Amino acid sequence: MSKKIGVFVCHCGTNISATVDVEKVAEEAKKNNPGVSYTTTYKYMCSDPGQKLLRDKIKEEGLDGVVVAACSPKMHEHTFRNAAIKTGLNPYHVEISNLREQCSWVHPDKPTGTEKSIDLVRMMTEKTRKDKSLNPIKVPVTKRALVIGGGIAGIQAALDIADGGQEVIMVEREASIGGHMAQLSETFPTLDCSQCIMTPKMVEAAQHENITMHTWSEIESVDGYIGNFDVKIRKKARSVDLDLCTGCSSCWQVCPCKKIKSEFDMGMGNRTAIYIPFPQAIPSKPVIDRENCILFKDARKKNIKPNDSKVCRKCIDACPIAPVKAIDYNQVDEIVEEKVGAIIVATGYKELDDTSLYGEYGGGKYKDVITGLQFERLASASGPTEGAIKRPSDGKEPEIVVFIQCVGSRDPAKGCSYCSKTCCMYTAKHTMLFKHKVHHGHAFVFYIDIRCAGKGYEEFSQRAIEEEGATYLRGRVSRIYKKGEKLVVLGADTLTGSVVEIEADMVVLASAMKAQDDATKIAQAVYIQYDKDKFLSEIHPKLKPVESSSAGIFLAGTCQGPKDIPETVAQAGAAASKVLALLSADELEREPVVAKVDRSPPPVFSTCIGCFYCQKVCPYSAIESEDIKARDGSVIKTVARVNEGLCQGCGLCAATCRSKSVELAGFNDEQIYAEINALEFN
Amino acid sequence: MIEALRKKAEELLKNKTVDVVYGYGEGSVPERTRPVFITKPEDVNKLTWNKYCVYNLTTYLKKQEARKLGKPAIVVKGCDAKTITVLIKESQLKREDIYIIGVTCTGIGDPPATKCEACDVNTPLIYDELIGEKIENKEFSFDERYAELDEYEKLSEKEKWEFWQKQFEKCIKCYACSSICPLCFCDRCIVDKNQPQWIDPSAHPRGNLSWNVTRAYHLAGRCINCEECQRVCPADIPLNLLNKKLAKETEKNFKYRSGYNADDELAMATYKEDDSEEIFK
Repeated sequence: MSKKIGVFVCHCGTNISATVDVEKVAEEAKKNNPGVSYTTTYKYMCSDPGQKLLRDKIKEEGLDGVVVAACSPKMHEHTFRNAAIKTGLNPYHVEISNLREQCSWVHPDKPTGTEKSIDLVRMMTEKTRKDKSLNPIKVPVTKRALVIGGGIAGIQAALDIADGGQEVIMVEREASIGGHMAQLSETFPTLDCSQCIMTPKMVEAAQHENITMHTWSEIESVDGYIGNFDVKIRKKARSVDLDLCTGCSSCWQVCPCKKIKSEFDMGMGNRTAIYIPFPQAIPSKPVIDRENCILFKDARKKNIKPNDSKVCRKCIDACPIAPVKAIDYNQVDEIVEEKVGAIIVATGYKELDDTSLYGEYGGGKYKDVITGLQFERLASASGPTEGAIKRPSDGKEPEIVVFIQCVGSRDPAKGCSYCSKTCCMYTAKHTMLFKHKVHHGHAFVFYIDIRCAGKGYEEFSQRAIEEEGATYLRGRVSRIYKKGEKLVVLGADTLTGSVVEIEADMVVLASAMKAQDDATKIAQAVYIQYDKDKFLSEIHPKLKPVESSSAGIFLAGTCQGPKDIPETVAQAGAAASKVLALLSADELEREPVVAKVDRSPPPVFSTCIGCFYCQKVCPYSAIESEDIKARDGSVIKTVARVNEGLCQGCGLCAATCRSKSVELAGFNDEQIYAEINALEFN
Repeated sequence: MIEALRKKAEELLKNKTVDVVYGYGEGSVPERTRPVFITKPEDVNKLTWNKYCVYNLTTYLKKQEARKLGKPAIVVKGCDAKTITVLIKESQLKREDIYIIGVTCTGIGDPPATKCEACDVNTPLIYDELIGEKIENKEFSFDERYAELDEYEKLSEKEKWEFWQKQFEKCIKCYACSSICPLCFCDRCIVDKNQPQWIDPSAHPRGNLSWNVTRAYHLAGRCINCEECQRVCPADIPLNLLNKKLAKETEKNFKYRSGYNADDELAMATYKEDDSEEIFK
């Protein structure tokens, strides 16, 4: 029996009706189409009365297929399918024809927009005829979460999930958690000490009974799917036994390699080869830098086991732990396997450090041209100067400091077309910190625009100018060159139209926030998308800002794009709440729009020939191989099979299959064929 | 060379290394050969080798009738051997399930086949046993390899379209092209799918176009240009022109040559960040 289909055309206010003749679309839908038994138009189909209209007409008219001609299915497919459920109609008999994004918004000409709309509705009507009832797929949930990254985003997300009563596995690749926030001096707009507000959170995370922490560890691989991920974590050889070590500091005090540039201090200070990155590190237990340690260098040269090298054994000798020392030179990487139900990626950012991009600023050859993060370390009480502002070249206190904003940011020629968002605020903060420490000093800031949108932000930047006396100059710097001990900064002040020349003692570049160098590696490991700048992509910039393109994987913090601390913390909380919601159920319901490989009765068994092109193109590793066996156990045929839990319904496999042996439920060949024919023969 | 071939076949069958040898046998006239399937050591004298051994015997690897005879040894020329590499890559064959008797070849057919003009596989790239003196494989430039397309590529888009419409009009849908093709190995071809019927089975111009275009597309990045489809086509459609053009585009855009290197990732199933995007128009 043929279906009774209802077509509901939405005006979307005037969004659709201004450039599409909705009445005509509704009329045409019925014309020469006996299957369409009811059509109507409505101002806002998504409104409550609109949905009620849909529900009522399904019942009154006995509709068993519905086409809603409205906006993108991404917006309201869910709404209308849910409305159908309430009437008892299987939701997969409801289809959306996208008249807004695909017609009215892109075709300003009403007749053409209308013509295309009529075609689209006809196509969707034909598809709806072939719709089959589908039922949600249920998958079990492992009630644990993985948080990748131990910066403020990762810590906040882990704490929120752990406080919600679920277990969290946290992985941080550095020797300590803390991330960039631990490096900062004071934070805007309140000027409270970053470490003072950060370390309590670090301690809380470390001591939380629901959090298992893996530092000096990286993600090796992630398999599985929403609710059921299998994660392999590589615990890199730390050379120190975390259970035995008490963090007494005896070892790093005796280490003879004292001139290694400290990564935590952005190269402004030194550290030893066995070290903790900073005094408040968690865990407060050291790691041996195998690249720089002379013992490991010697072992590599002689090609012997590290423990057999006798070059230097000062740290192990100094270790007071007995009878077994806490230092183990021969320690090797260890792979830990964990099962989790959800993942939060919070891998952070890196500061633009490619000085070669900026030849005009000295290209890295002037010691007193430093980056924003380096200035943070200078101003930090735990930094190499213990908070005193001293210029790196000679340790003198600088009197004139020039701050240059948008270094890298908003500069497509240098590879970052975006705004790094935090620099206007932190530069204002830097001028204040400088002024607070060097009272007679003077700060100049070159800016393009001052972008301080946020609670208390504008007031903060005004304070820098009005109360702290920073001189803001609107313009770019064309060149910096050395003149004796001074750095001459040549720039433009576009408001007065004059050329400015400042003899500065130090220059601070507000370098862009960039994606981590290996951001794409982590994205590929967990099968999520990234944008042109290699920041990880959310699935919808407005309505799904923390969801990644893979179900069950969420984003938090600057791995997704430049953000300040409040925003990062808020996003981490949002990601955590999504994880908690996911982990609150014992079983998950998944959209049944998944691919299926043909199975036929003997002697064919399956039209699949097992070339596994589908497996190679699947972005979600959802295709497995299956042996079809005879009763005696012999293999008749090896064919592809779709793991429904992993499949995201993208349809690549169906498009790739030459023998058309894979079909996507809800988008099967008959449906697509019906759509094409509706267009071709009319 | 023939003696060495027969001796090897005899040895393989006697040792039970294989159950059957796919090879070439004498035809009814001297300019013809025919495929033979030798299962007994005493029959090896039926095997022959000459410039009329045009067939790509690997196509029998997909035929159930031949596979039923057991583990095969197969006589292959350099061009045919490329098929085996593809079949292994596409999970249709395991290397250990087949014994490859490679023959060195300086060209087949009379007049010589087009594919022999820029042949860079006189010695097969894979084999278990090589029959004949090893020949140093020549190297050709990209342009030399695809020289046969020169005339065709001079045509405008419109002329190309008209050319193919005219060619496909001749198609009688006998499917000899797909039957002979060693890489058309699906149990159920798309043309046999009737729910929905993607390709019209009757010999109507519209159905002919979809069949021929689909056939060529399904071989893109896979075809090793053995030219068998073109040879068997009773309507004389220059099918290999289409295949060769696709091979050229594949190499140009994805630096991939089908059948040459077992380690290369399949061009049509692999995404690389530096993939050319010029093909999207």
